[in-house]
Formats: sequence, C-alpha cells, structure tokens
Amino acid sequence: MSGITSGSIYAIVGICWSIIFLVARILNFTTGEFVMLGGMLTWVFLSLELGLAPAIILAIVGTVIIGIILERLAIRPVRYPTEITYMVITIAAAVVIKGIILVTCGFETRLIEPFIATGPIHFLGASLTPQAVFVIGTLVIITIGLSLFFNRTLFGKALRATAINPDAARLVGIRIGTLKVFCFGLAGGLGAIAGIIIAPITFIGHGIGFMSGLKGLVVAIAGGWSITGTVLAGLALGLAEGFFAGFISPGWKDALALLIMIVFLVAKTISFSPRAKKESL
Amino acid sequence: MKSSERFKSYFPWIIIIAVIILLPIIIPSPYVISMMVFVALYGVLAIGMGILMGQAGLFSLVQPTWFGLGAYVAGILAVRGILPAWIGIIVGAAFVAVISYIIGAPVLRLRGLYLACATFGILIIAQIAFVQLGDITGGHSGLLGIPPLSIGGFVFQTDVHYYFLCWALCIACLWFSSNVINSRLGRAIKSSRDSEVASKTLGVNIPKYRLQIFILTSVMAGLAGGIFCFYLRLIAPSCFGFALLVEIMLMVVIGGIGSLWGLLLGSFVITWLSEFVHMYLGKLLPVMTGEVDAIFFGILVILVLIFMPRGLAGWVEQLFHLGKRIYEHFRRKLSLA
Amino acid sequence: MNTSGENYLLLDVITLSKSFGGIRALDKASFSLDEGSIISMIGPNGAGKTTLINVVTGIYTPLSGQVYFQGQNITGLSAHAIAGLGIGRTFQFVEPFPSLTVLENVMVGCHTGSRAGMFAVGLRLPSARAEEERVKDEAMGNLKMVGLEHRASDSISSLPLGERKLVGIARALSMKPKLLMLDEPVSGLAAHEINKLVELIHELSDRGLTILIVEHNMPFVMSISERVIVLDQGRKIAEGSPDVIQSNEAVIKAYLGEEV
Repeated sequence: MSGITSGSIYAIVGICWSIIFLVARILNFTTGEFVMLGGMLTWVFLSLELGLAPAIILAIVGTVIIGIILERLAIRPVRYPTEITYMVITIAAAVVIKGIILVTCGFETRLIEPFIATGPIHFLGASLTPQAVFVIGTLVIITIGLSLFFNRTLFGKALRATAINPDAARLVGIRIGTLKVFCFGLAGGLGAIAGIIIAPITFIGHGIGFMSGLKGLVVAIAGGWSITGTVLAGLALGLAEGFFAGFISPGWKDALALLIMIVFLVAKTISFSPRAKKESL
Repeated sequence: MKSSERFKSYFPWIIIIAVIILLPIIIPSPYVISMMVFVALYGVLAIGMGILMGQAGLFSLVQPTWFGLGAYVAGILAVRGILPAWIGIIVGAAFVAVISYIIGAPVLRLRGLYLACATFGILIIAQIAFVQLGDITGGHSGLLGIPPLSIGGFVFQTDVHYYFLCWALCIACLWFSSNVINSRLGRAIKSSRDSEVASKTLGVNIPKYRLQIFILTSVMAGLAGGIFCFYLRLIAPSCFGFALLVEIMLMVVIGGIGSLWGLLLGSFVITWLSEFVHMYLGKLLPVMTGEVDAIFFGILVILVLIFMPRGLAGWVEQLFHLGKRIYEHFRRKLSLA
Repeated sequence: MNTSGENYLLLDVITLSKSFGGIRALDKASFSLDEGSIISMIGPNGAGKTTLINVVTGIYTPLSGQVYFQGQNITGLSAHAIAGLGIGRTFQFVEPFPSLTVLENVMVGCHTGSRAGMFAVGLRLPSARAEEERVKDEAMGNLKMVGLEHRASDSISSLPLGERKLVGIARALSMKPKLLMLDEPVSGLAAHEINKLVELIHELSDRGLTILIVEHNMPFVMSISERVIVLDQGRKIAEGSPDVIQSNEAVIKAYLGEEV
C-alpha cells in the first residue's frame, strides 16, 4: 500500500479527532473504533446478502448512530466534567465497542472485495490500484466538502465559532449541545468511510481501530488540529512510513508515528527565543 | 491530646498490617494468597498513578511501562545469570529511575491532555520495543525460565513467601508516599496543582518537584515489576501494555484519587472483580479473552465516572459525613431532652 | 539603611516594556523603591500595575528593560528564584490552595526557608521532622500576626474573602521577604477589616519590611502611603507624596471619568 494511500487514511482519521477536539475540547479515543466499525459493519451487512452499496451505506449510518449514542449516553451525563474524565470515558467506550465486536464477529480478520475489479491504473508514472484511487479521491472530496461546509454554510460557521470561543458562541445563541452531537456523528461517519475504503486493501478485524486511531491523533497534533494541517501531516506520515520501511523492520513502523507525536508535543513547549517564557495569568 | 492524635494516625496502619499478617493464617488457600500478591503489586501501581493524577495533577499514563522495565531488566539479568535475582531488582529500579528522569524532564512540561497523549505514546512505543527486541526480551512469547527469587540462602518458593514480600513492598511504598504527601514536598506539589502562579511566587520550583514525584512513582512501579517477574517466572509484553493501563485507571477511578487507602481499596476491588468477571463471564460467552472482560470494565468505568466521580473512597467519605451528621443530630436531641 | 545612613535602593525598575499580542501593557515604565518605605501604586484600570508586579516577580519576561533588586539584576530569572531572593507578593484574587488547610497554605510560604528533600521526608528522618515542627510554628506565628490562628485547621475555601486575603498575606510573610507587594489588598473588605490591615501594614513596616501596595481605594492609599507612584497606559506619569499627587493635573486627567 503506497504511502499516499495510507497517508490519506491517516488524514481522514486525523480530521475526525480534530473536529471533536476543536468543538468539544474532547480527545475522543473511540475515533479508531469508528474506523473499525466502518469496515466490520460493512462485512456484517455483506454477509447478510445485501449488495455492496447498501452495506456501505448501512455501515456508515450505523457508525454515525453509534457516535451519537456515545455522546448522549457517555459524554453528556457527566456531572463534573474535566478534560481527563472525558478522555478516560472515551477510552473505556472504545474498549467496550471493540469487545462487543469481538464477541459478535469473532477473532478472524476479514477481507472485503475491492469495489472495482479491474487492473491497476497508471497515473503520472505510478501505478495505483483502483481502490487506492478511491481512497485518495475520497480524501479530496472530504477535504473540499468540509472546507465548503465550514466556510459557506451557517451551521459550519457556527461550528467554527464554537471552536474559537465557546462562551461567546453560547451568548450568540448557538446551541453547543446540538453541535457536539453533530460532531460526534460526523466523526463517526468520516471514520467509518475511512475504514470502508481501506478495507479492501488491508485486513479488517476487531483490533484495527487501536493503531488507526492513534495515528490519526498523531497527525491531528502534528497538523495543529486544522483541516489543512492534518491532511498535510497525514500524507507526510504515510510517506515517511513508506520511506523508513526500507530501513527499519515493519514491527517498529508504528513506533515511528508515536515518536513523531511526542517530539512534536515537546518541541512545541520549547521556546526558541529566550524572552518568550511560558505566560500564566 | 498529642498521644491520642498519634494513636489515631497509627490506627489504620495497625489494622492493615494485622489483616495482612493474619490473612494467610485465617484463609490458607493458595488461590486467595496468590490473588492478594497481585493486589499488593497492582496496588503499588495504583498508588503511584493516584499520586501523579491526584496530588500532582499529572495525567501520566506510563506506569505500566515502568512496571515492565523493572520486570524485564531484573528478569533478563537473572535468566542470563548475570546478577543474583535480588540485585537485579534493584538494578531494574535504578534503570527505571534513570529512564524516567530522561523522559520526564522534557515530557513533564506538557500540560493535561497533551501529557496524557505523550505518555500514552511512550507506553505503546515501549510495548513495541518489548516485542521487537526479541533477542533480549523473548519477543511476543515472552521471557521464559526466570529463576525464583533468592536472597542469601533463602529462596522464595511458595505463594506465602511472595505474599509477605509484596505486601512489605506495598506497605513500604504506602508509608513513604504518605510521608511525602504530608510534608513540605507534598505541599509544594499540591500547591502547584492548585495555583501554579501562586506556588511559583512562593518559591516552589515546580518542574523540579514534578520530576521528583514522577521518578518516585516510577521507581515504585519498577520495584514492583522486579518482584513480579520472579513471582510469575515468565513475563510477556502483553502484561505491561494498554490492558494493564486500563486496569490501573479503573483502580484509581474506583478507589478515588483523594486518598492512598482508597487506591489500595481500588486495587483490591478491581483485582478480585477482574477474576470473578473472568470466571463467570467465561461461562456465558463463547469467546473469552481480556478484551471481552474489558466490556464489563469499560461500562463500569463510564458509570463510575458519570455517577461517582470521587470513587469509592469519596463515596465512603460521603457516607461517613452523613453518618456523623445523623449522629450529631440525635446527640443534640438527646441532650436537650 | 546602609551604613552611611542614606535610604538604600531596594528595587529599581528601569524602562520595562511588556506587550500581550497587540496590547502594550507596559511602556518603558520606571520607578524605584527605597528600603523600609510604604509606597502605593495607583492608576486607572489597565494602567499596567498588576503586569508590573508580574514582571518583577518573574511571572512574565519583559520585552525590554531591567529590574534590579538589592543591586542584583533579576530580569528574566524564574519566579521561584526571585521568590528565594526575598520578593513576596499577594494576589488580587488571593489564589488560595483549596486542597490545603489555612495553616498549610501559610506553610507553603516557608518553602524557601526549608530544605528537607524527598528521602528525608519520606523516611521521616529526625531532621525532617524537626524542620516540619519549626515550619509549623513559624506559620502559626504569621497566622497569629494576621489574627487568624483560630482558623488554622479549617479549609481555606470556608473563609470569607477578607480572611482569605489575610491568609494570603500571612503566606507571603512566611517567605521572610524584604519586599512585599500587595495587589489590591483591601478590595472587597469591610471597614473594620481595612483598619486591621492598616495596623498590620504599619507593624510590618516597623519591622523593616518594604511594602508596595497596588490599590484603587483612594482614602486607604492616601492615608497609609509615604509616597505614591501613578501609572497610566503602561508608564509612570507622576510620583510624590499623597498630597502632591492628589492635586497633580496629569493624575486627575488620567482618572477623568473615574471616581477618585
């Protein structure tokens, strides 16, 4: 799988993290499980003899619903909310979702047939499988779609306003509760899409959510939580992994992404000018 | 007055130590003793995590790694016959101290969620390292053939031996930590969590004390890990990863981060609960691994965080205050009558 | 007072500038404090008074300028280092430590005067225990000085604002500072509490403490200060005795629209 393909997936997952973090200030550790659900639910519906398209749509809808249920049942009722409480809750929810899928679908990993069964497409001197084209195309569509949404629609602007200043947004009459639910649903949908388009290329199983989610987080952090930054960081990570695959054994590949995240986080705290000390009011 | 105050503060210690000493006599079952060994070892981890999160306000998720490092270093040194077991444990703890210093210095500058992310990253990287460095660590299948612990001529053979050793460690860690928390260091760290700006201007060197607490809790975990490897005689990377983190978080959440005793209670509750869940759910469900147990515990975490944010210890405290108020109410009524 | 009998320059602030984003909070502000005096700093809201204190105590680093304390350049030092040199302060909103009792709050102030390290306190070595007793007594003494020793074991959140502010002062006193900076010590206090505070400040000054008070309460300022410094828009616009300041045109203009 080429670096751009995996990078595109990281970018989409990273966007899922960013949306919820910016609007609700929550690190949602179930993001990875949304990806897993996309693929697994598609497989479930396919095995119920539904066609590919209906299965995909149902899988996306199902994951969106799960995202909304998560917000309503586990996030909203919290009485003494702190950032860390929400984070622990989403970790617990991820564990629950993963376990349920394991019990219902079993251990084995699955493979879904590629969407189009033709040979590789040649483009700019490289040859890509049709599925890879799907992946990259989906990233492009999502990026353009989201940027239109955030900039041109009233709802999207309300989301951006909430991300910038939640209190002011409330004062202006924006219903933050509704926005939060929407974001969880949106992240669920996008995560599911990522999981579905990648499913024919890599194996899907109950356990793929963990690393996919984590890499999305790395990319969101490295991209400064912005859409453009996340996309660029995602592609960069995908390419970097591909590049280093030659030098380091595949087992260490995942460690690379995490190391990048840690370096990024720590580097942000180091001020390069001797005058700029950390301010506290 | 002073001597009765001293008695009150020694009282819980006396009770706990008495229970620990009497337990193997009253319930000589090896199963129970073995479970209590784990309660003690995981208790050390829970205490460390609770101190970091509660007193110091540091959301560090890297405890399982120190546990694992201590275990692997001691185990590897013993398997290869390089050092006697008990020296290996000390070397392991020293190794953990050095690594936690190197990692802590830059990483502890991060606040809140970002610290959680970075320490989580280290946890996973360490897991990967434990697997990838298979030549030294035995990889996925683990480090085998660890000899039993021995000091001088005495060999730790039975569960009871390890029981007393682990509880000695647990009580020692509890005692040391409790002293630190109630001292100038404890005040420094608590003040830094309450109001960083006021703390600084009163002369507290916050990064220094955060690092000290970080290293203290990691050494505690490293020591526990060292003993752990000699008890199990076999360790694998999966012992020291995400699953353990979730269990410790559960202990901290259930026990409540306010009190050290609560954390020990959390370890007791979760270790035993874990066992029961595994035994009974195993009869109901076809597939049975730690990941399935986790469904139950995940739901438990969510419920506790939503409804009992201060954990069992906080709940017990609330009951205690309620009881006191009822007692006062009746006392007043009786004295007026 | 140094040996020649002249007033010793305790604090010397030289052309301090500080910006937050586009806002210039301090604009080449300069002033100096003589040892043993009681000086007030006044100015309309946003004049930069609290920012100045924050720069002097090391919470912010200035854009330019220097701060000298007892002849030593402390610009850019960390906050805890500056605290160790003998500059103490209180906060407008107290900044209490809610997880500590009143006495423990004050004991935090003794931090720079104590040394016990982790091993000593963890193992409850006699030296650590003795130091803890000493610190407790010192803190109790400071609590007595502000008249709150009966509240020692209460949670600080249960105290009303006036008493909390006094605890803040006791806490800063525990540092044995040479310079004490009080940020709006009387705002929110009742009249009798203000009188108590005036007495306390005079007593501290008699003991040799140099005190800088940032305040809005004019009667209080005029009654207690030997000298008044006026800040407006980040720079000093006037300085002198209370009478002189009250009739200073620039000062009145700066306060135009505000109650004096």
